[in-house]
Amino acid sequence: MKKPSSKNVKRTDNAAIQLNCVVNGQKVSKTINSGLTLLEFLRRELGLTGTKEACGQGECGACVVLVDERPVNSCLFMAAQAEGKKILTVEGLRKNGELHPLQKAFVAEGAVQCGFCTPGFLMTSYALLKSNPKASREDIVQALSGNICRCTGYEKIFAAVEQVRDGKYK
Amino acid sequence: MPPSNRCGTASTNKLMLKVTIAKPASLKDLYKTLARTPGPRKFLAGGTDLCVSARHGAGVPCNWLDISDIPELQAVKISGKTIQLGSARRLHDLENSPLVQRWLPALHKAMPHFASPPLRQMATLGGNCANASPSADGVCALCAEGAKAVIRHPNGKQTLLPVEKLFTGPKKTILKQDELIVRFEIPKTGHRGSYQKLGARRALAISKIALAATAWLDGNIITDIRIFLGAVGPTVLRACKTEAALRGSALGSEKSLRQAAELIASECSPIDDQRSTARYRRAMSPVLLERALAELREERL
Repeated sequence: MKKPSSKNVKRTDNAAIQLNCVVNGQKVSKTINSGLTLLEFLRRELGLTGTKEACGQGECGACVVLVDERPVNSCLFMAAQAEGKKILTVEGLRKNGELHPLQKAFVAEGAVQCGFCTPGFLMTSYALLKSNPKASREDIVQALSGNICRCTGYEKIFAAVEQVRDGKYK
Repeated sequence: MPPSNRCGTASTNKLMLKVTIAKPASLKDLYKTLARTPGPRKFLAGGTDLCVSARHGAGVPCNWLDISDIPELQAVKISGKTIQLGSARRLHDLENSPLVQRWLPALHKAMPHFASPPLRQMATLGGNCANASPSADGVCALCAEGAKAVIRHPNGKQTLLPVEKLFTGPKKTILKQDELIVRFEIPKTGHRGSYQKLGARRALAISKIALAATAWLDGNIITDIRIFLGAVGPTVLRACKTEAALRGSALGSEKSLRQAAELIASECSPIDDQRSTARYRRAMSPVLLERALAELREERL
């Protein structure tokens, strides 16, 4: 992984910067306004609207994406901070046209109702199982405590993650 | 209209902050970048408080220097008899550090209470101190651990200051523009620690009241104890009288606990706000003290 270098972040005018990063495996190089949050960069500049904005202040987790494998609230993460980093969004979970096991489990287990919070839950769950494939129920509850869902009551979300952990979805 | 050198959001796009961000690669590069960045300036670390304030147009300077990836600010290590914690190290890393777990028990125990898992992947102790909220969980724990902040001045000089001396009021520190907390230094002593907090829920709750304690024991006798309270004063408060009453007494002695419980309530200076009332906060201070002392008693080193 290349270290961030100020050379890469040349200022082209007052607020414009050149941003180089990798989004869902694809190299991205764009001149952007440095006032853009990562969330807005993904949605407006790249058209990746799977990532949602709800509270806009880090309280709800709807905007969680992975930055170098860390699940972060992209509404509070400036796009400029993503220089040289690897971003994974919900669009990047699907492989060869097939849904990720977590996505299949969320659908099949009824972990999705209105669906607005779902991308955030998927990304946080993905990061958890990647770092802790044997996550206990308590680990799952803890890891998802920064994501809010107003529909499901959480039980089906926790169950879906457990099913994936147990290998019931491939 | 706010002055043009203060940020806010563009009216057409509430997520577009009116800020300019530079991302220096090293501490040396930071000071070079600083010299060519117009003021007023602000350091951007985790951004979890700064971005929220900026979005609300709360008079935040609009030229930001992103220090979140500066390698010199990432240490988690033992140097002689001192533990060094880099100011821009993410809390998630500290939470999972065996070194923090072994040597800084109050800080380790504070981590799960801090905001939420994704916010801990961004937030830093340096930012928690610079933001200077009286309810900051990281600040309260650092103070109990006896941490000192290493402050680097723009001229290259560094000073060492106990963390509790950084604060002058809610959201106010002694830090002047361009003065940067580079790391925290904490004596490696092998003590016990506890962190207690009351909030509206387990995650993402700003404290109604918090208490961090560290203790040094000789058998069952408390030879020294440090107790700090969060969210019950304009800054994190040290419960000096309570500490004095407990020093020299047996951990778990009913008599000293009763005396300490009365003292700690008198040492709080809470207010009513949207999260709680002064009365409730004061009434809960002995409860948290009792829980902390029970935890200190049970803890095995």
